Amino acid sequence: MTPTPPSCRAIEADLVATATGEAAAGAARRVDEHARDCASCREELARYRAIDSLARGLRGDAPEAAELAASRAALQRRLADVRSRVLRYGIVPSPLGNILVARSEHGVTMVEYLGDATTLAASRLRELADVETVEDSAEIARLRDELLDFLAGRRRELGWRLDLRLAGSDFRRAVLEAARGIPYGAVTSYAALARRVGKPGAERAVAQALRWNPLPIVVPCHRIVGSSGKLTGYAGDKLGLKRQLLEVEGVRTTTAARDFRVARERMYVRAGDDRAYCLPTCGDLPSSSLANLTLIASRDVVAALGLEPCSDCRPDLHPLAG
Amino acid sequence: MGLASFDEVVAAHHPEIYRYLRRLTWRASGADDLVQETFLRAYRAWPTLSADANVRAWLFAIATNLARNHFRSEARRRRAYVAAGEGSAGSEPAGPEEEHVLRETRELLDRVVAALPLKQRLAFTLRKVHDLEYDAIAESLECSPDSARAHVFQALKKIRVSLNGHALPMERTR
Repeated sequence: MTPTPPSCRAIEADLVATATGEAAAGAARRVDEHARDCASCREELARYRAIDSLARGLRGDAPEAAELAASRAALQRRLADVRSRVLRYGIVPSPLGNILVARSEHGVTMVEYLGDATTLAASRLRELADVETVEDSAEIARLRDELLDFLAGRRRELGWRLDLRLAGSDFRRAVLEAARGIPYGAVTSYAALARRVGKPGAERAVAQALRWNPLPIVVPCHRIVGSSGKLTGYAGDKLGLKRQLLEVEGVRTTTAARDFRVARERMYVRAGDDRAYCLPTCGDLPSSSLANLTLIASRDVVAALGLEPCSDCRPDLHPLAG
Repeated sequence: MGLASFDEVVAAHHPEIYRYLRRLTWRASGADDLVQETFLRAYRAWPTLSADANVRAWLFAIATNLARNHFRSEARRRRAYVAAGEGSAGSEPAGPEEEHVLRETRELLDRVVAALPLKQRLAFTLRKVHDLEYDAIAESLECSPDSARAHVFQALKKIRVSLNGHALPMERTR
């Protein structure tokens, strides 16, 4: 084999680039000029062009439609499986400490108080089987804004679509759904909620279901108190947060020896599903137990519920001090 | 970016990513695993992708990365090479002489490409078969655009040498 002359070696890279249509204008011109007088480089140019065109010909060889469709179907199956398991979450700093918000494709799955913790390590999500977590602040951004508005009293509803998969049982799910129906600024009791889910007397089971409420705030279990008006428990040992949430909604509480109670003397009262509302002192009320009463913080809330004033105590004529 | 738009990503890019991985592995079954893994990774990372990202280049980068891991096993590479030979051998009835020659030469090219060093093979396939920009190839191979260009150049040179002595369907020289 005859050795390649230095001038041919020098333009080799440009020659390949020219043949494959990737050379800059100047380089292509130099190659063309050189090839005019150099038969072997002319030959090279032609062969590289042929190789390039052969390679580009590979673009057309698509797999068969059936093969492609089978691959697509298998991919969709796996994606569906992963998608059902993926929870996207964000951690929101708030006046109630850091709050984790997680959602699936079906809706918000979890709201969790993390206190000072800032990572997933502190979350119950870590203990759940069959769940894949992905941090996704962008996906959570709207929820975060609405949550912060709610906690600041600028928003009264969190109309989020919920995914109650973490509820644990049909009964717990029913309790959560019933609790979600308690209006903003109103307070009722575990006993009343037990009645609402068709299990009168099951207030302990109701309390237990709410203790594991995977969606505090959005399922407003903070609006549920003991029949005496005592705040009892909240999210384990976070009674202070319950009090804060109630105050945001205009529900006042009193403290005596670390015992928080709803300030009942400053709230309107509704008995059962009556269309009327009363003053707390109304003689027409069936009893003083909250087992069948709802307390309402303000006339705003009364108006939102469309209630009429009681004709005995006339709360419209004698409104409670604001 | 919403979750719904990921369905659009799958619809838009699955055929090409499949074709790419199918060509690299020469087996539908091997390609399927890699295709699924590519899109599952993409799905998980989707939230972190910036809105103006080149989704196609990003998917090719994920697929290439997975392919490189896949071929880290030398045995797999050899199997793919053997499959490249089998997969293309005389599967169609012989047509006119010219077509026959073209097909044979393409099959030869397939085998030569399958035998290239992995980076050159990937760079060549991304550039010549899928027409990716060098920036995107560089992203896929985790190298500079100049290196990506050099890989394609080296691949072409090796192909040129390997096809030495074979009749090529020559274009008329300008």
